Amino acid sequence: MNSRKPLLLLFALVLILSSLPLAAQDDQISMTMWVRSIPFQTQALVDEWNANNDSQIELTVIPSAEFVTKMGAAIAAGEPPDIASIDLIYTPAFAAAGQLVDITEYVRELPYADTLTPAHMELGRYEGRNYAVPTGVDGSFIVYNIDLFEQAGLDPDNPPSTWDEMLEAMRAISALGDDIYGYWFSMNCAGCNAFTFLPFIWASGGDVLSDDYSEATITSDPIVRDALAFYNTIWEEGLVPEGASIDNGSNFVSAFTGGNIGMAGMGNFAIPLFTNDHPDLNFDVFHIPGKEGGAASFGGGDVIAIASGSEHVEEAWRFIEWTMSDEAQIEIYAANGQIPVRLELVDNPYFEGDDRQMTAASALAVGFTPYTTVYNDLFNDPNGPWLEMLQVAILDGDIDGALELGQERFTQIMEG
Amino acid sequence: MTATVIDAQAERSQQEIRRLRQRTLLWLRYVILVVLALLFLFPIAWSFINSLKLPAEALAVPPTYLPSEISLKNYDELTTYGKIGIAQHVYNSTVVALITVAGSVILSTLGGYGFARFDFPAKNVLFIMVLSTLMIPFQSILIPLFVMIVQVDLHDTLFGLALVYITFQLPFGIFLMRNSFLAVPHEIEESALLDGCSSLSILYRLMLRLVLPGIVTVAIYAFINSWNEFLAALIFMSDQDKFTLPVFLTTIRYGIWGDVNWGALQAGVIVSIVPSLAIFLALQRYYMDGLMGGAVKN
Amino acid sequence: MNLTWTQRRKLTGLLFVTPTVAFVTVFFIIPLIMTIFMSFHDWPLFGERAFTGLENYQELGKDRQYRKSLDFTFRYTALVTPPIFILGFILASLVRHNIRYIGVFRTIFFLPVVIGLGVSSLLWTWMLDDRIGVFNKILLDLNLVPKAQLFLGRPNTAMNVIILSVVWKTVGFTMILLLAGLQAIPDELYESAEVDGAGYFRKLIYITLPLMRRFIALALILSVIGSVLSFDQFYIMTRGGPRNSTISIVFWIFNNSFTYFKMGYGAAMSIVLLGILVALTGLQLYVLREKE
Repeated sequence: MNSRKPLLLLFALVLILSSLPLAAQDDQISMTMWVRSIPFQTQALVDEWNANNDSQIELTVIPSAEFVTKMGAAIAAGEPPDIASIDLIYTPAFAAAGQLVDITEYVRELPYADTLTPAHMELGRYEGRNYAVPTGVDGSFIVYNIDLFEQAGLDPDNPPSTWDEMLEAMRAISALGDDIYGYWFSMNCAGCNAFTFLPFIWASGGDVLSDDYSEATITSDPIVRDALAFYNTIWEEGLVPEGASIDNGSNFVSAFTGGNIGMAGMGNFAIPLFTNDHPDLNFDVFHIPGKEGGAASFGGGDVIAIASGSEHVEEAWRFIEWTMSDEAQIEIYAANGQIPVRLELVDNPYFEGDDRQMTAASALAVGFTPYTTVYNDLFNDPNGPWLEMLQVAILDGDIDGALELGQERFTQIMEG
Repeated sequence: MTATVIDAQAERSQQEIRRLRQRTLLWLRYVILVVLALLFLFPIAWSFINSLKLPAEALAVPPTYLPSEISLKNYDELTTYGKIGIAQHVYNSTVVALITVAGSVILSTLGGYGFARFDFPAKNVLFIMVLSTLMIPFQSILIPLFVMIVQVDLHDTLFGLALVYITFQLPFGIFLMRNSFLAVPHEIEESALLDGCSSLSILYRLMLRLVLPGIVTVAIYAFINSWNEFLAALIFMSDQDKFTLPVFLTTIRYGIWGDVNWGALQAGVIVSIVPSLAIFLALQRYYMDGLMGGAVKN
Repeated sequence: MNLTWTQRRKLTGLLFVTPTVAFVTVFFIIPLIMTIFMSFHDWPLFGERAFTGLENYQELGKDRQYRKSLDFTFRYTALVTPPIFILGFILASLVRHNIRYIGVFRTIFFLPVVIGLGVSSLLWTWMLDDRIGVFNKILLDLNLVPKAQLFLGRPNTAMNVIILSVVWKTVGFTMILLLAGLQAIPDELYESAEVDGAGYFRKLIYITLPLMRRFIALALILSVIGSVLSFDQFYIMTRGGPRNSTISIVFWIFNNSFTYFKMGYGAAMSIVLLGILVALTGLQLYVLREKE
């Protein structure tokens, strides 16, 4: 009968297709590693390791906004990567859920354990045990375009140190032309603004969370309102391009490289990009100021950890330890313009004489990182209360409504 | 005499006017149809045109209307895009779709035949149970499905995703196949039964050919729906190597380092549209039958 | 075993439907019961779970975004349905008669239906982009707008352009259903109405619409259910923004279950969604049964 042929063919095809091997197997150790899409030197590290070791690491880059979802699903499925480079802010949540390997004993053996960046070590600790070590150090600060400062008659050697001074500088720069703007923010990117906007609040002595992280202080701390009003002024006066209001972070780094933006919040990870890919960009950096002065920075970046369930804990640690060695820290990190994770190595031949790197690195001294297991739900989630509050306040100008909704949703998440 | 001539003349001219009016209306109808058709085709055509631009031109701000040069570079870039290139994702989508088609066809045919031709205890209860799942949108049971698939280690497997898709197809498939079997006259089967053929061989040798249109319809729906599905694929696949095409395309949209490769995205859109369009165009009649049969005739 | 012919028939029939029934039981009935079970638990994606009774349901009352999502989903449904319907009806009327090439037009209007909603959403996101999107290019070239519009970035326009894209994608489906309805009406009815001097609108109101009632109701309900369950277009085109103004109810379930890892809470919301849907489908079955 003719009718059975197509069905049988189909069956055969399915069987053949589903039995094809997807990847060749061999007996050497092969490990998987995940990293979010932030251009630290992870790829270079993995390449160097794979070239010189029997064990091989397969690196997967996960879009930052999806990292927690993907990681959670992989953990729930019992198939996490062996090694994960995690936004340090998520470590408490993963450690609390028992998803990371306790590496306290390994860390104790490290001769340089005390000089590893404190914020990262702190976030990698849960109930006194270590679960992660730093792998990417990234403080926030403001970059500014020296050429535009000069054209606008501003003194590039004396960058703004208060919000009012920043506003004046933005106005002067925006006045230079139709396509020139004083500032850039990515107002549809939750994480970008935790990184670069929260420090404005901190530097003024305020915060959105209480000291013990038990409650939200959005409506009770007047600085929060002032900071929102400050950014709202920037938007209302047209001191940022209109497209900034919908940027989901794609242009967080690249907007400033166009040469028509006076200032922008930025992180250490971007400096090598600027110096290597945009040698003509004449820029410098200054600390994120408070309302009347002061300085603060978000101690961001990535930590590296081994996921529970990995069958190669020893080998994974061997790789992690190597990433913190003098060799990797100087020849891969510093040589590529990335800040070493060991403080004593900030003084290195590659950074010598580069004031920008030194200022950027010194941001870490005023760096602060919130410690909460619901960080993602509060701040980084594109549908979280943080971004919604910023957009309603800054873009719509409804500061009262924004504060009220922020407080309500923060509280609900922190209680739940 | 003259009066009738005038009457006849008047009638003729009136007929002429009517015919003219009808022709004008017909032309007007065509004009509207053509304009609307162009509007409907525009997004697909525009995507296709842009997929043929050089990658740099596809990123131009503002965009150009027509490519300055025809190039397949965007498709070329797709073959190495991400870690593994688009071929792997086409493969993933194809395997999932084929397992879904095979599973839906086999289960619907067996079940449809059973419900149409046999009497057995609890038949009505079971049939109502199967049909009542039409009322349960899969979106509302995704959470336990995820938990179950993870429990049996089928998370991140193409087979696991296909199982879920087969389930989504079943109520419609059973319903359609039952109707197909009901439409076959009893006499055809009875003579075979008298000859002593087993039920399975009757189904296989005799009935399959008669219900082939129904089978094709079930297969088309299984293919197109699984090929296009997004939400379940997003949830059940976390390994990038296993992403089906729609999920893979959204990773281009968000870009690995934040840059979006719009040219490659359009090439990817075209690659993922073509199979469903081709199948639909080739087997349109069966598709429409399914739409009418599934949605209206019950 | 000695079974009578009837007994063997019964057994065979049961065997034929067993795979299907097993599938439906494992993948529909059990998950449904599990959803109810999970909704009474604090059930994180990984880690310990605990029975919490009605807490998840009480939480719904405190969840500002949940209320917002419910409101948005119904508003979206109310706004997207009329254009789909009106355009669907116009298209169905245009392609009703078998004039030459009409099959080609029917096919063209239906084509977007077989494209995945995910893929079509990506396509429209790109066309609507403020910098490289073709809509802004055309509007600017025709001097219809002073500067590029951020269609998806403004709460008031985001909804409208998403509706536009969904109408394009789904109107063909409604067209075919309504076409079937139109074609089921005998031509003689119109002819005798014309003899009585009825104009277009009188024929529409007294013949077409009443006789198509069942088809209209069916298309309406299918379209409403589809809209209530929508996710892809919001996840892809706006990611729920701006100001979280386009987070549909399925989107919020997805977020809570798979991003915030609160699967128990997600399950509770699913139960509410299921209630809404069962009511709508019940309505559908009622309408379909009416005539038989």
